Amino acid sequence: MKLTGAEIIAECLLEQGVDTVFGYPGGAVLNIYDALYKYSDKIKHILTAHEQGASHAADGYARTTGKPGVVIATSGPGATNLVTGLATAYMDSIPMVAITGNVSTDLLSRDSFQEVDITGITLPITKYNFIVKDIADLANILRKAFRIATSGRKGPVLVDVPKDITAISYEYEKTPIRTYENVTSSKNYEFEAIAQAIKNAKRPMIYMGGGVLLSEATEELIKFAEKIDCPVCSSVMGLGGFPASHKLFLGTLGMHGAYETGKTTANADLILAIGARFSDRVAGDREKFGQNATIIHMDIDKAEINKNVKSKFSLIGDLKDTLSALTELCENKDNSEWIKEISAWKEQFNKAPVYDSKEFAHAYHIIEAVQKLTTADDIIVTDVGQHQMWVSQRYQFENPRTWCTSGGLGTMGYGMGAAIGAQTGNPNKRVVLFTGDGSFHMNLNELVTMKSYNLPIMVVVMNNSVLGMVRQWQKLFYGNRFSQTDPHRATDFVALANAFGIDSMRVHNDSEVESVLEQAFNLNKPVLVDCVLSPDENVLPMIPPGKTVDDMITEME
Amino acid sequence: MVRKQIIGLFVRNYTGVLQRVTSLFTRRGFNIDSLTVSPTSIEGYSRITVRILGDDEQLSQFINQMMKLNDVKKVEVLPESSSVISELIFIKVKINSEDRNKILTAASSYHASVVDLGETSATFRASGLPSEIDELVSRLEPFGIMELVRTGAIALHSGDECMVDGLNID
Repeated sequence: MKLTGAEIIAECLLEQGVDTVFGYPGGAVLNIYDALYKYSDKIKHILTAHEQGASHAADGYARTTGKPGVVIATSGPGATNLVTGLATAYMDSIPMVAITGNVSTDLLSRDSFQEVDITGITLPITKYNFIVKDIADLANILRKAFRIATSGRKGPVLVDVPKDITAISYEYEKTPIRTYENVTSSKNYEFEAIAQAIKNAKRPMIYMGGGVLLSEATEELIKFAEKIDCPVCSSVMGLGGFPASHKLFLGTLGMHGAYETGKTTANADLILAIGARFSDRVAGDREKFGQNATIIHMDIDKAEINKNVKSKFSLIGDLKDTLSALTELCENKDNSEWIKEISAWKEQFNKAPVYDSKEFAHAYHIIEAVQKLTTADDIIVTDVGQHQMWVSQRYQFENPRTWCTSGGLGTMGYGMGAAIGAQTGNPNKRVVLFTGDGSFHMNLNELVTMKSYNLPIMVVVMNNSVLGMVRQWQKLFYGNRFSQTDPHRATDFVALANAFGIDSMRVHNDSEVESVLEQAFNLNKPVLVDCVLSPDENVLPMIPPGKTVDDMITEME
Repeated sequence: MVRKQIIGLFVRNYTGVLQRVTSLFTRRGFNIDSLTVSPTSIEGYSRITVRILGDDEQLSQFINQMMKLNDVKKVEVLPESSSVISELIFIKVKINSEDRNKILTAASSYHASVVDLGETSATFRASGLPSEIDELVSRLEPFGIMELVRTGAIALHSGDECMVDGLNID
């Protein structure tokens, strides 16, 4: 049948099973939005306040549902407003397709109104991108875009469509999507060598990352870890990929990981890096990381092997396949001596928390209170900063796809959009956004979206009235020269939320934490809770950049 | 070890492929000495040949990164010992009656031929290994080089081996 380019786009989205898109209209995408109007019973469109919010929403949607997130924006400024969202998704390998309008083909490269070379701009922050110059290519380009975004190491793909292409009619034929198998390229002898190394190891450790979640390999990982009786540490991105309550789980490792995970890493004789990439937040000193251990790297991306840290063996492929194959070859093991040693390290800094401040509420107190209100299926989203690290340290994630944070790019302002995407994709789960006063100020405009679609997200502002993480670094490395981190802002977040038509309350100190949060959560409506925190609460422990656990800071002013 | 090496890339000739390849080079800190791109005998596919200055270890990492690019089908190092390599140069030299013979002797030892004559200049064309071209340039430098242009190295595996062996072209 003959359809316009815009209708072909809508049909191709339906081919992919897309039922939700996030975006913002504009001149170059008028035809696309006209098609969306006609398809509104099949495709739900969430209108945000800003294209950046829409891009983070598509990202949060993808992280919590496993389906590719779709964002639509107009040309010029609309497209450039997607840049941060695309880079965020790129750094964390999140499947996303961005469709941007551009000026008509006859107006291209004439510095036309709202024209920008978005494919040139997003070249290094997309897995791939396209500009459609011929209507005949449109459908296949979209199909290819989804395939690239969702296969191998996933990532964002951008498709730029000039306005005239969206108006031309062309023959469209519905095509079922081809599924591509992720092929494991490692040979049998490599599996056997690794199984042998595991057999010989006395102090093994699993360092897992976001890859476990992207390949949905939690079940395989649990079976594997249990069979070889191996303790599991996670990067910030891997949380939820292995149940926190499991006896083998140790928590996060890296810059703000617990003392015991740092010691485990330093003393392990075998480190299995599973779906992780030795980022500088984990392997501060690339030479010294796990220097006493044989390192084995399992990843879907060949280019990650030996990129940051040298590994002795590697398995390249989808974790679901490589983990199950490896588990078959491994024998049952008992590493209880080693696990006992680790428990002793756990005890060293394990002091019972005291939450009795009359001036402030403690961060961990707030996080624990939220934990009591949520179930293991509910979703936690954060922005970036001290609050993000506190949540990663304290909140116990039981299930995959319940944790949504910008790990790789560390995008402040990510939270609101991501929470909107997560809630839209999971209407039957509760979503709690932990944010900071700094991060929240960046994209609080999206409160309007939360309210318009009546998304019952609980926004918890960990308000210490300063830019906490940067200020903490200024304490440690810049002689307390608090340059631009103490803005003395007058914003009343409660009044602000009310102005958006959103219920809001305040937690003034530790005594109010449980009652106020419970009240807010049980409203089951969009709500904002402004929590007053001390500006001098620090994220500890901390391994300074480029260092190892031997330099771990456990106390600070 | 840091040294000059020649890399061949077999790529699908899609908009932006050259941009992606070169931006990856610069992002990973490789100095591009020369770059040439041209069509191949397979329609829709081009060959990019780059001579770079880089570290051996970084290079293998970098080849992996290159292979991730959607349009790049094959990347190979073409070592001097097992490849046929050549490069072409046009070099315009100041020529006067005294030095005339010296210049012509120097040029002929590199099999350079005169392709153009001006009133005070002669333009030579020569081909050979990049290192031989480098030498020719230094030999002629004392006489005064007015301009020069090089094509950049091109290379193929010697013998029956081809870069496209075993590739699935769609």
